[in-house]
Amino acid sequence: MDYRIQLATRMLANKRGSLLGAIMAVSIGILVIHVNFVIFQGLYDAIIRDLSGYRFGDVLVTNREDVITEKSDVFLVNWFERIPYVEAAAPRMSSSASINVTKSGKIIQDFQVPVVGVDPFQDTRVSTVHETVSEGQYVFSRNSIVVGSIVARDLGGVTVGDNLQLKIVNRHGEDAIKRFIVTGIARSPGGQGFDSDVVIHIDTLRDMLDRNKETGQILVKLNDPTKADEVKDLFLRSFPNDDFKAETIEESAEQTLSGFRSGIAMINMIGYFGMMSSAFAVVTIQIMLVSSKTREVGIMRAIGAKRKDILIIFLFQGMIIGMVGAGVGTAFGLSYTFYAKETKMSFQGSLPLQVSYDWSKITQTAIMAFGLAVIASIYPAFKATKLQPVEAMRSV
Amino acid sequence: MNKTYGEGDTKVRALTDVSFSIKKGEFVLIVGSSGSGKSTLLNMIGLLDKPTSGQVLIDGTNTITLGDNQVSSFRNSKLGFIFQFSNLLTDLTVLENVLLPRNIQHSNQNVMTEAKNLLKAVGLESQMNKRANKISGGQAQRAAIARGLINNPAIVLADEPTGNLDSITAETIVQLMKSMAKKLNQTFIIVTHDRQQFGEVDRVITIRDGRAFEGEDLPHEMEIKV
Repeated sequence: MDYRIQLATRMLANKRGSLLGAIMAVSIGILVIHVNFVIFQGLYDAIIRDLSGYRFGDVLVTNREDVITEKSDVFLVNWFERIPYVEAAAPRMSSSASINVTKSGKIIQDFQVPVVGVDPFQDTRVSTVHETVSEGQYVFSRNSIVVGSIVARDLGGVTVGDNLQLKIVNRHGEDAIKRFIVTGIARSPGGQGFDSDVVIHIDTLRDMLDRNKETGQILVKLNDPTKADEVKDLFLRSFPNDDFKAETIEESAEQTLSGFRSGIAMINMIGYFGMMSSAFAVVTIQIMLVSSKTREVGIMRAIGAKRKDILIIFLFQGMIIGMVGAGVGTAFGLSYTFYAKETKMSFQGSLPLQVSYDWSKITQTAIMAFGLAVIASIYPAFKATKLQPVEAMRSV
Repeated sequence: MNKTYGEGDTKVRALTDVSFSIKKGEFVLIVGSSGSGKSTLLNMIGLLDKPTSGQVLIDGTNTITLGDNQVSSFRNSKLGFIFQFSNLLTDLTVLENVLLPRNIQHSNQNVMTEAKNLLKAVGLESQMNKRANKISGGQAQRAAIARGLINNPAIVLADEPTGNLDSITAETIVQLMKSMAKKLNQTFIIVTHDRQQFGEVDRVITIRDGRAFEGEDLPHEMEIKV
């Protein structure tokens, strides 16, 4: 083994406190970035997951007037389900209604709620919103209704089995009134689901709106969500003369996510500043190491070591600190990520984080930490080369 | 050569018009009282410092003209150092310390046997794998002698090599240096303030107030420049 590597390793090994301090500085810098990533990227991905699962699918098809009249929902669902990337497709329709309920002989009534019409069989294949029905069950007949938990609260505590009345203004401007039996209450963690909506059968909504055979949107679920752009483009190319609009989940949720992305970028910046602080800690510790080894540097210079040999010794120490620190920090970070993923981490009952291992980011962070530790060692190492043998050997 | 430190009012002349030559194989003592300039002179000969004016010629090379890297290589290959406080690297074992000057050369030559023989010669065969801070002061000084000789240097320079040792250990170290010098026909230049400890030597140079005189116990008025 080269004597410089041997000496650098021994010097560090015999200064365990400094070594531990420098390694902790580097690894904490990495851990902060991993924690930031798990929490904020996890939250971002969780929002995408829930928006996709509850409202938009991986690809959402509408048209410019928000009502698809050109093709039937059956035709469009069948068209999509022929594509190998597509797992399922389902129609939906949206409107708004005024709602009232009689509770203990009193009518609690007439506030506007969004109404979503679903095909109960197809919707459960595309969406996970049925999983948010915490009491009762999802829409199963034409007069059943699922009420969002916030709506249920605002109606004075609606429960399964209660009767509700919806009043919808149809396409002709006339009121359409219908009574429903509450079959379920929807409550989603994080509130991205139908907590503020009511859900009824799509055919019932069509009847009330007098829009038979028409559809509001087609939700498409993919086997591989990365193929969303491909499926979207294929669809738009296949129906060039129709007025369809197709969006991937990122495009559909852009309004919700754009602000969040800026937040993530800022948090990442803070993480990288944290890593820079670790680099300053490494500089300080390396200066202390050089200072404590002044006499040794003097001896080595006296017996013939060149300035570059001294430089290599202390730079190599920086490499050891960077390597071990990056390894330990990455191990800590991966342990935290594993814990967050396995426990489906969430904060105060909010939506569970969508934790993933982003190996390119993990590698990039480790390399950056290693590089910063080496860069942080340049100044102390350079300082060591400037020591004059006679003065250095006088150091105790 | 001359050596001055500081400037203006704080200027101190450490060495004044010092000039002498030493033959190969000579065992030379540089003696003088504390602060006389003997360590400064040794630092100039060891190329650890540069004279303000003058030259240091070793093996025909004017060392003043050498660059920093050349000086380092020269120190490594032509000079062996023994310091007052042994100055071993405490992060290394005794054997690794002895091998260090050779390792600095990045020599591929296997000198392990040579190093072990030297350690055997200085009586440290059983201590060679101990960390340098786990041996006694006398043993450390003996290891330093072995380290000073490993590269078979033209000159071995020793600065107060017994200054930090008790009299019995000091006597052992003196005898060891003398025997090594004789055995290897090595030039030894030793700075000491304790002339008596070394007994009979080839030559003594006395430094007094920064000036060099041949011999010892000179009357003040008798200045012989060598």
